[in-house]
Amino acid sequence: MSAIPAETSLRTGAKEVEEVNYLNAEQSLKSWLITGDHKRIAILYLISVSFFFFLGSIAAGLIRYELTSPAGFVLESETYNKVFSAHGIIMVFLFLIVAIPAVLGNFLLPLQVGARDLAFPRLNLLSWYLYMIGGTLIMGGIINGGVDSGWTFYVPYSSMYANSNVAIVLVGIFIAGFSSITTGINFIVTTHKMRAPGMTWFRLPLFVWAMYATSVVIILGTPVVAITLLCVALERMFHFPIFSPELGGDPVLFQHLFWFYSHPAVYIMILPAFGVQSELIANFARKRVFGYHFIAFSTLAIAGLGFLVWGHHMFISSQSMYQSVVFSLITFLVAVPSAIKIFNWTATLYKGNIRMQTPMIYALGFIGLFTIGGLTGLFLGSIGTNIHLTNTYFIVAHFHYVMVGGAVTAFLGGLHFWWPKMTGRMYPETIAKWNAALVFIGFNLTFFPQFIVGFMGMPRRYHYYYFAPEYQPYHIMSSLGASVLALSFIVPGWYLTQSLITGKRASANPWGAHGLEWETASPPPTSNFLQTPIVLDEVYDFDPVAEHEASRSARALEVPHYDAEGTNTKETHES
Amino acid sequence: MAAIAHEGMEPEGQAYNPARHHEALHHQFEDIDQQNESYLVGMWTFLVTEVMFFGALFLIYTLYRSMYLKDWFLAHEALSIPMGMVNTFVLLFSSWTVAMAVRAAQLHDRKQVLMYLSITQLCAMAFMVIKAFEYTEKFNHHLIPGPGFGSHPEYLHGANPNFAQLYFGLYFTMTGVHGIHVLVGIIVIAYLMAKWIRNSPMVTKDYIPTEMVGLYWHFVDLVWIFLFPLMYLMPKP
Amino acid sequence: MAEHATHSHAGGDHSHIPSGIKLFRNMIILMVLLVVTWWASTIDFGNVTINNIIALIIATIKAGFVIWTFMGVVHATKLTRVWVATGFIGMVLIFGILGDYFTRQYEPVAGWEKGPNGGASALQREWPPSKPPQPGNNNFRPRG
Repeated sequence: MSAIPAETSLRTGAKEVEEVNYLNAEQSLKSWLITGDHKRIAILYLISVSFFFFLGSIAAGLIRYELTSPAGFVLESETYNKVFSAHGIIMVFLFLIVAIPAVLGNFLLPLQVGARDLAFPRLNLLSWYLYMIGGTLIMGGIINGGVDSGWTFYVPYSSMYANSNVAIVLVGIFIAGFSSITTGINFIVTTHKMRAPGMTWFRLPLFVWAMYATSVVIILGTPVVAITLLCVALERMFHFPIFSPELGGDPVLFQHLFWFYSHPAVYIMILPAFGVQSELIANFARKRVFGYHFIAFSTLAIAGLGFLVWGHHMFISSQSMYQSVVFSLITFLVAVPSAIKIFNWTATLYKGNIRMQTPMIYALGFIGLFTIGGLTGLFLGSIGTNIHLTNTYFIVAHFHYVMVGGAVTAFLGGLHFWWPKMTGRMYPETIAKWNAALVFIGFNLTFFPQFIVGFMGMPRRYHYYYFAPEYQPYHIMSSLGASVLALSFIVPGWYLTQSLITGKRASANPWGAHGLEWETASPPPTSNFLQTPIVLDEVYDFDPVAEHEASRSARALEVPHYDAEGTNTKETHES
Repeated sequence: MAAIAHEGMEPEGQAYNPARHHEALHHQFEDIDQQNESYLVGMWTFLVTEVMFFGALFLIYTLYRSMYLKDWFLAHEALSIPMGMVNTFVLLFSSWTVAMAVRAAQLHDRKQVLMYLSITQLCAMAFMVIKAFEYTEKFNHHLIPGPGFGSHPEYLHGANPNFAQLYFGLYFTMTGVHGIHVLVGIIVIAYLMAKWIRNSPMVTKDYIPTEMVGLYWHFVDLVWIFLFPLMYLMPKP
Repeated sequence: MAEHATHSHAGGDHSHIPSGIKLFRNMIILMVLLVVTWWASTIDFGNVTINNIIALIIATIKAGFVIWTFMGVVHATKLTRVWVATGFIGMVLIFGILGDYFTRQYEPVAGWEKGPNGGASALQREWPPSKPPQPGNNNFRPRG
């Protein structure tokens, strides 16, 4: 991206001098806890999100361990219900919805639009505190005895038959919802009003488009689920009847309102991943992203259509069949903008100068996994197939392909890509590459057998399949894959943490990437840019000829080179 | 936080621009126009979330009312229309005073701002007091949903106790959530008034904070405009 | 000095100062409409739906006056108007949920139109329900 170069605090050649940046500007704990700096808040979010991801993974591990035996040998049935509910609640409300927007989005959005901060820094900090309060309440409810209603909180499971912890958890989700809303408002205002001079809408990185669409979904959807869950909490705590069937209330109405948010919430999880994906593909194929406008508008189209498909979660919930048909049709329509994105990314790869570095491996994995997840979504969107497959492991496999294969993969890819910018250190490339491959293998090993066992009839949320022992091999395969997957999540945790101390210092732009965030120092100074940059060109202005030359010379350097003594002095120049 | 490098500096080659040196300007914005526009966009975005927040409740209300038309009509007779009318009057009036306060803020007329905001504050409190009277009456008549609901059936006016309970559940949820918004409004207006009394440049030099509080208060009024006919003025089926 | 400059600068469209007379007139209109709402609710049109529609139309007009004049949308930027429209569209989207309930009665499958005591479906398929569910009549567990 050509811009009038923003002055950065990094003077080339003066490697060993510690520059003042947002990380070391102030050292005290207090300066972190009352910070208004979007970059520091992103780091706070990164730490807390990783922590909740760890807790959710423990629950997942317990589920997989339990399912290796058809009769269930570690958990009581009720405990099992609580464990899978905890897994769902933590992963959805405390990890997936938050992960990419609040960590990468918080960090990058102001940098990418060329602003000094988000529009409302204090609101941003409030958002983190709300998230932590919500997370604490949710964890409190889970530790205090647990919730067994599943993450969907269907009434009357959650109102009449559940214990009182459900109320604590619901209030926690209510509060965490406001953390999403404040983040969404911040992003929308920042995108509208804080763009640097010359940064027009169609010069924005696609990540910003994705964040904008996500924020629109957040502000329209989250309040609905907030009030709905509040109603359930009131029903549980004070016997305020709103969805109580025994007083004439309608539990199906709860499902409608819940999915009115929770289907768009799926797009809150995956749209940011699309944004990350567009950045990774363009920067590692060294090519202008193919069909920029199509990707941008398909992002908005997904956000819009996402609000018209909630009923496909309710085909068997006594919904009117007319509405089911309409929802089924619109569900198929969502496939169109999603496919536009996939095709544009693959078209970007075509004749690109692809560099197989860690973020790119995650990005390529994303394309495959998301395609499988998306296409199986079409199976589930057609009413007839859906009735056969509802509440089986097929569904579980489908949404894990989208959520883990899509969102988590993109999160990891994006984290590696922007790690040098966030921390000023490079991660170890070789081990990271192998680990990226390991994520892909472990993921498929975990969830592909679930498609098969689900199609055979294994219901979700069951831990006892004694009368169908033919399911066991698939479950064992899946649990084996889960161990591999767990390992592949622990390894980055280890080497990324280590790279904070021992990692090579990163230059301002270690990838040769384009985008305003790469024009400031790594890590950036507190004010992001020393002078407001003026943008002259769009973000993906890779020069194909120059990139080709560069990749050829890089490849030439990789060829083993022997000097006069016959020693191998092979060197790889990757950036 | 570290000093913001360019704060108070002009971009090279540009003349001194007073909009970049406004007293109420926060560090993340270039100039006061950008800040004001951002605040307004932010407020309107927030109001959209509020619309969706109440929208879900109105939907629940609409569905159940169409299901239990007759019983809800009977149950709603327990509400006092005069009290509802007075409350609507009070809120509409306070909406006007807040609009006048914003106007006065634009004209930098501190005295008038404070006068109109005080009237608004009084109206808001009057609303809460009347609401408290209504709630107390319902409480005394055992019309609070829960185990003791309808133990004095004469106050149900012949409605099916289950559906009446559904009605009062929604009545208390909706007016309760609205009442919480009024309370928040009272706190926010008090904060704003304190700023005006202390002559803080944040509000005296820039009318946008007053405008934002005004927008919020109008929204509270808007919700009540719909709540009043829906809750209090049911036609006889 | 800064203050003076801000005046000429501060926000082209937003800085419009509404006329006090217009605001007052708006308030009077709202009060009149409030009385009209109450009066309309006491009239018997023979069908409550008419009452409901009239009440909602008046409420919407009142809301329009508040949004347009008090909230200053009349002089606001395009973006503000887009947000107002978005709020409205969002409301319409939520009310799409009613489409489920109002189309259930047209389901053509034999037996589906019957209520809980006759049909295969556990739920009422006719709309509005002629026989609302009664406790004890269905499989409802009493609240504990």
